[in-house]
Amino acid sequence: MRENTFVRRYGLIILAGVVVGAAALILTAAGNPKNMGFCIACFERDIAGALGLHGAGKVQYLRPEIPGIVLGAMLSAFVFREFKARAGSCPASRFVVGLFVMIGALVFLGCPLRMVIRLGGGDLTAVAGLLGFLAGILAGIVFLKKGFSLGRAYPVKMGEGFALPAVMLGLLALLLLAPGLLKFSEEGPGSMRAFWLISLAAGLAVGFIAQRSRLCMAGGLRDAFLIQDFTLLAGFLAIWATVTVGNLIMGNYSLSMTSQPIAHSQHLWSFLGMALAGWGSILLGGCPLRQLILAGEGNGDAAVTVLGMVTGAAIAHNFGLAGNADSAVDGVYKVGGVGSAGMIAVVIGFAVLLAVSLLHLPGKEEA
Amino acid sequence: MRSRGLRCIVSFYTTAGAMAAERLCRREGLEGKLISVPRSVTSDCGLAWSAPPELRETLERRFRVVGIEAAGFHELTL
Repeated sequence: MRENTFVRRYGLIILAGVVVGAAALILTAAGNPKNMGFCIACFERDIAGALGLHGAGKVQYLRPEIPGIVLGAMLSAFVFREFKARAGSCPASRFVVGLFVMIGALVFLGCPLRMVIRLGGGDLTAVAGLLGFLAGILAGIVFLKKGFSLGRAYPVKMGEGFALPAVMLGLLALLLLAPGLLKFSEEGPGSMRAFWLISLAAGLAVGFIAQRSRLCMAGGLRDAFLIQDFTLLAGFLAIWATVTVGNLIMGNYSLSMTSQPIAHSQHLWSFLGMALAGWGSILLGGCPLRQLILAGEGNGDAAVTVLGMVTGAAIAHNFGLAGNADSAVDGVYKVGGVGSAGMIAVVIGFAVLLAVSLLHLPGKEEA
Repeated sequence: MRSRGLRCIVSFYTTAGAMAAERLCRREGLEGKLISVPRSVTSDCGLAWSAPPELRETLERRFRVVGIEAAGFHELTL
């Protein structure tokens, strides 16, 4: 009976975590950058680069994982009759919050999913990001308890729900049929990529299982703090455990604070970047991965959020806001991190999230 | 270990709605607690209010009077 209860409650979410972790390991083995088998922020940034929305030559590639996730979620939603075209929950605010979630994530160098994957590779610089993410989520919870809400979404015509999946199909068509229109990195993280079919298959699998299980990095921690429910958090832990075990088996585990792949040692800014991402994710009702899943289920507000994140990625690289990884040049270890522009952007991000939080509290008559 | 039993599960359109329901029920001494909305109810990952099934009519009435918009009332064995 106890076993059955455990399996019923945690089985699917743990399976989702294992699938995501295994997909990240496979993608890394197949060519994606180390500790970046999956990263929603990095991949959306690479897509922005591939489309010429920013000019950072090292991070330009139309990652098929992102269309795969959206289309996998849509497929699952259709199969289980959960595709519902909805919209109307403060799309403009969601666009802006999504933009700053992306800037925060790129200051840290990874979304919440990559944060877990980095931890699973032994990257101790990600601990500062984890602590920041927790702090951001707690800040978001304070406003949830005060009644923060972006309002409900309403049913809309089916076509609205297909908007982002259609865009994703278009991106895939560009990659496969007209690659000459896109930009491709010849060096750096953007040049490291698995064969497109492997990437697409991994994205489809992750999108499908994440839709079924409701896997969400931010939601897991929100539920744990707010109602002491650890179901979604189990998925988060399953990803970490799977990636850790996989890296240990494949000899890719390196427990260290230095020389980590695509990571920097400015811990304060890792903390603050992920605090911004965590707070924003709570306001949006889900992490960047979850936004892709919701968009695949027909949620137009999540689609707008994803577009906000892609815009945020373009801004981050056009204005030099994103973090730079630590590197070794001529045998000398060079600490990367965030420049003044990135620091100012994070501070502005906190001000914007505070404004959005305060402006969406209930009035006295509603409280 | 907690035994399973029939519960009235109220889902909401927003997290704020669920938390407003909690505040109302606490204030009026109505039994229940916030839970993660069951997967069988929706693919959304929000919160729901779990109460004894006999409170369903009371909850429907009170939520309507104070303007808390519920997405649905469900009877589930949890």
